[in-house]
Amino acid sequence: MNRFIIADASKCIGCRTCEVACVVSHHEEQDCASLTPQTFLPRIHVIKGVNVSTATMCRQCEDAPCASVCPNGAITRDNDFVHVHQERCIGCKTCVVACPYGAMEVVVKPVVRSMGSGLNVVSEKAEANKCDLCYHQPNGPACIQACPTNAIVCIDRNALEQLSLEKRRRAALDDISSLML
Amino acid sequence: MKKITSVCPYCGAGCKLKLVVENNKIIRAEAAPGVTNQDQLCLKGYYGWDFLNDTRLLTPRLTQPMIRYEKGGKFVPVTWEEAIRYTARRLSEIKAKYGPRAIMTTGSSRGTGNETNYVMQKFARGVLHTNNVDCCARVCHGPSVAGLQETLGNGAMSNSISDIENSKCLLIFGYNCADSHPIVARRVIKAKQNGAKVIVCDPRKIETARIADRHLQLKNGCNMALVNAFIYTLLDEHLYNSDYVAQYTEGLETLRETVSEYAPEAVESITGVSAQQIRQAMRIYAAAPSATVMWGMGVTQFGQAVDVVKGLATLALLTGNLGREHVGVGPVRGQNNVQGACDMGVIPNQFPGYQDVTDPQVREKFARAWNIDPALMDDQVGVRITEVPHLALEGKIKAYYIMGEDPLQTEADLGLVRKGFEALDFVVVQDIFMTKTAEMADVLLPATSWGEHAGVFTCADRGFQRFEKAIEPKGNVKRDWEIISLIATAMGYPMHYRDNQHIWDEMRELCPLFYGVTYEKMGDMGHVQWPCPTLDHPGTPWLYEGNRFDTPSGKGQLFAAKWRRPAEVPDADYPLVLCTVREVGHYSCRSMTGNCAALQTLADEPGFVQMNPQDAAAAGIKDRQLVWVSSRRGKVISRADVNERINKGAVYMTYQWWIGACNELTQDNLDPISKTPETKYCAVKIDAIADQNWAENYALTTYNAMKSRLREAVDS
Repeated sequence: MNRFIIADASKCIGCRTCEVACVVSHHEEQDCASLTPQTFLPRIHVIKGVNVSTATMCRQCEDAPCASVCPNGAITRDNDFVHVHQERCIGCKTCVVACPYGAMEVVVKPVVRSMGSGLNVVSEKAEANKCDLCYHQPNGPACIQACPTNAIVCIDRNALEQLSLEKRRRAALDDISSLML
Repeated sequence: MKKITSVCPYCGAGCKLKLVVENNKIIRAEAAPGVTNQDQLCLKGYYGWDFLNDTRLLTPRLTQPMIRYEKGGKFVPVTWEEAIRYTARRLSEIKAKYGPRAIMTTGSSRGTGNETNYVMQKFARGVLHTNNVDCCARVCHGPSVAGLQETLGNGAMSNSISDIENSKCLLIFGYNCADSHPIVARRVIKAKQNGAKVIVCDPRKIETARIADRHLQLKNGCNMALVNAFIYTLLDEHLYNSDYVAQYTEGLETLRETVSEYAPEAVESITGVSAQQIRQAMRIYAAAPSATVMWGMGVTQFGQAVDVVKGLATLALLTGNLGREHVGVGPVRGQNNVQGACDMGVIPNQFPGYQDVTDPQVREKFARAWNIDPALMDDQVGVRITEVPHLALEGKIKAYYIMGEDPLQTEADLGLVRKGFEALDFVVVQDIFMTKTAEMADVLLPATSWGEHAGVFTCADRGFQRFEKAIEPKGNVKRDWEIISLIATAMGYPMHYRDNQHIWDEMRELCPLFYGVTYEKMGDMGHVQWPCPTLDHPGTPWLYEGNRFDTPSGKGQLFAAKWRRPAEVPDADYPLVLCTVREVGHYSCRSMTGNCAALQTLADEPGFVQMNPQDAAAAGIKDRQLVWVSSRRGKVISRADVNERINKGAVYMTYQWWIGACNELTQDNLDPISKTPETKYCAVKIDAIADQNWAENYALTTYNAMKSRLREAVDS
């Protein structure tokens, strides 16, 4: 089963530390000092409503609609997450439409392309941008480490089962105790 | 690669961090296991250091001393010798002609640290012979200091940041910790998880209100009425601790009389909160085995602020929530070293260690230590920074030596402040950035920044912590206290310090409250809370042991006052209330965070005006559109942030924006005691702008013009 990251709205204070941590984690030099509005492309987004503040990101669906609809086979399931292979992405945005969580975005990044004989040209490359669980980081997802209130957690099969077990127990025991009153 | 221990230079939470340095460049900040932050940082701590690289995203660093020899002329780069000579001569002339009280000085609550503040007040009192020294505590927690000193005896948090999570009830009044102190907000969330009841009093649905058991969404500008109703309820329903009140407090009968007209039912129309909500809130607060009151600028930035602080302290006194663990009163200080600036006596009424300037014995002690004639010491309380514009216009203040402050951005009613500045003969600005205040100076003295020097800060809960130097400064800059010492010496008072510790140890000898706080005791990760009177004293996590208060009688003073209406209430012309607030990603005047790439990317000019969807719809304004916000004093452009967390009838702006500067609109109805301006309340109107393309272009060109003007001023 895929692991996924989720934010606990009862702990989130809407500070957006996770968004910056995400961008820095996916930055080539891991350098917050060289961010610009153009390169600020977080894969996690803080959302605020009247009664809720939370962060949203990819759920790493088991039967991922983004992967099913990709016409170029750029999205696969690797190492317990849904992985976009950027070299195969053509920027068609079908995955953006297919994702029910709004977790997939197609973004445009400036890249330097070598044209041979020492000639480099700056051009744009479209990429399907979504949470990759920071698979390239030895310490795991950057947002989880940076969140000042520990509102962001990674859920795997064990954690999910534990969660369900607790809920079942609470539902059962709470109901009984209230009936006894 | 090395890792240097520091303390975050932004809010007062006192977060310890490690700066990772390679080849004299910081490459990242890591969280460290400090007492208050426990290996956590918020976005400013992690991503708020690259201003040190002189990024010029907002405004450039000051890198050489400069003088404007003629009013209206250009800055001329000069040597340090010339800058010091000229400053000393001009200050000496003004002192000789108009007397010492014609010169105003400021300390700095920011990155410079406690040592500089000690030296600055020594310069004012020992060299200039005036008590005219103040800091930006005046525009933030000045009322908390004044109010708590009178009711309990100490003007600081009685509790510790790390103990908030152990309290069983938090009464949070006018304090949005999620935006102002994320690392304190973390403790509030932990308290909630530990089973604490949370009561939030705030006109907006702030983050804490989301998780609160009770949210009292009061109208803007009625704090005293609500606090009186709280006190009334505690007395009326006999919820107060009568044994505690009889033993440890004074003034119950007068209190009862003052609040007699403030039954919750009687103030419903003033506060907008139902009597039932008020009564329930007090039942929860009084029933809790331990309860803590926390407040912020929502209490202090009003014309009636000191009274409300005293009223909040009274709630704690009535319920016996003082003098032990897990309880207390917590005015959580805003800036990283605003507690320290007050500790070091950059306030016009007290020497370092809260020793009164009006006490002849205290003056004598300091005069002897500083080797000057006690008769030369100023025996009157000095001028507050908020009074400077008025006194300058009256011709009573002639010179202003501003260190690490940006009054032309952070003070209320900037039009008035500018007029005051124009009336001054001589302005010295000592800073790290070309701020809007620095731009107006006659002399610019460039200083080293946090990161480029070491020292001691005091965080919000009275905790002294050391921070170290990470990188060598670039440019022809000097440590703040060295600049002050050079001017003092040039004015005929030789002042020489070897290092920070030399100053620290001189200060400790003069301050019984801090005597035991040695460099060794603070160490690398230590956090030593005052009072710490002896070398073997571990520091004081909570004040008032044995319920002995530091008041003349040793008893807590119960207090309430009649509610006073804010000075400028909305009318047909200006139908909305403007309240100034904080946003999490930027700090204070933004000269530091505005030059940090990540933080500037998250939010940039002209900034935001938060408003309720109904008010927006009535004015034909859509979310994210640019709008005009105007008051009787000015007009600025801002971006509408339309959201349902905002109460109807009020709009909210942040003072960090240089184009959308809300202090052009605010007014300076000062609290009569603390002289803190009423920046939480004035009347404004909002107008939609039909041509949004024009508006976007206008905001951008104004912003760019300002940035290039500031760059030119530095590069001249």
